[in-house]
Amino acid sequence: MEIRLSSVLLAAALLSGCGWFHRGEKPSNQVVVDEPAGEPSIIEPQVNRRVVKTPKIKAKDVELGAYFGALSIQDFGTNPLYGVRAAYHVSEDLFLEGFLARSKAGTTSLQDVFPNITVLSDAGRHFTYYDINLGYNVLPGEIFLGRGHAFNSQLYVTVGMGDVKFAEKDQFAINFGVGDRLLITDWLALHLDVRDHVFETDLTGRVKNVHNIEATLGITTFF
Amino acid sequence: MRRLLALLLVMQAFNVSAALAKSRLVEVIITDPFIEMHSGPGRGYPVTYVVGRDDTVTVLYSRTEWYKVRAPSGQEGWVRRSDLARARLASGEPAPIPPYPDFATHRWEVGAGYGVFNHQNLVTGYVDFSLTDSLDAEFVLQQAFGTIDNRYLATIGLRHTFIPEWKWFSPTAGIGTGYQYIDDKVPPKPLETHNQMAYVSLGVRGFITRRFMWRADWRKYDVFTHQNENEEPEEWKFGLAVFF
Repeated sequence: MEIRLSSVLLAAALLSGCGWFHRGEKPSNQVVVDEPAGEPSIIEPQVNRRVVKTPKIKAKDVELGAYFGALSIQDFGTNPLYGVRAAYHVSEDLFLEGFLARSKAGTTSLQDVFPNITVLSDAGRHFTYYDINLGYNVLPGEIFLGRGHAFNSQLYVTVGMGDVKFAEKDQFAINFGVGDRLLITDWLALHLDVRDHVFETDLTGRVKNVHNIEATLGITTFF
Repeated sequence: MRRLLALLLVMQAFNVSAALAKSRLVEVIITDPFIEMHSGPGRGYPVTYVVGRDDTVTVLYSRTEWYKVRAPSGQEGWVRRSDLARARLASGEPAPIPPYPDFATHRWEVGAGYGVFNHQNLVTGYVDFSLTDSLDAEFVLQQAFGTIDNRYLATIGLRHTFIPEWKWFSPTAGIGTGYQYIDDKVPPKPLETHNQMAYVSLGVRGFITRRFMWRADWRKYDVFTHQNENEEPEEWKFGLAVFF
């Protein structure tokens, strides 16, 4: 009795398994024609239904690009800066963006007076940062170049946070900035940005907040 | 001569690809009495052209809630999503304007935020995949900035959303495991630089607009060390995310 019951259960399990294996199959495409019995039709229609696929509309909400400018590292002079940027536009007002950039600090004024003092090692002079920001297009508008040309532009403000690696130490930094996105065409933009990176450091002897202001020019494309 | 031929071939290939690209664009027929075309993808940009009922416009691409279209006259401009959504295809079907993802049943989430880990500033970034409407798998990368060390945390976990249909405020709870790497800032070196850890979390999530949402989380970690006691840091964070 027990063997019979278990074989019944096994058969049931196998059957349900078969059903599972067939679940992904599509129904057959062939057209079934109801024929009256005894009257074979001369032409058997074999027309498959034509599937018209509507193309997708491409969304160009992602902006990628590079920028170049000057970074004023507090106490260490103003130096060239290079970086890459990416943004995702959530709505016509809001966007999220990320930055990755690098610069190299010069010497302090103190070293100009006393050249033998070493404040930073060569590796420590690298100023590298990443930022994650939230941006808001505050003043969208148009910029006119002469009589014949108008370019769309957006003045935006951003606030964010990230990591600044300076003097071989990673520091938490907040940043806030203002910039203008000038659209040369609808997919190519020029950026002018001013941003301040603020972090706490004890590099010059006492703990203080340092402001590192950058002014950059960038170019981006929309994807 | 051969070079010229090659150049012509390349140009021809470009032409063909351009023609193919053109043929893949969507054409819709306007059903409203008229719709306005703006000079830019924003509510304030001036209206530069108007297309009327039964005109066919070619949809080039979209940016946020605006669509760039080309009118029969060749004039290009931006139309509002809601205006275009009422248009029809030549077959009579509605225009293929995808609806915004439903917040309660979305699949993917990408976000970033600020937090406090063991009294240290924390930057966090995460990706979240919905296994069901109420169960997510989350993958989180974090950097905590301490005065004596920096920590890099990578965690993977499961999160349950208690009432996913509550749009503005829905509680969550989760568990997971991960790894931390300690990078010392000042000597002495930490006793251990790599640790495995586990966590439990409680949180809330809510909808903001369209594809935008927020999350707040509390986590309690158990860091497995070779010392007599395990480390048990706490973490608070708040983040913004985009969902698809």
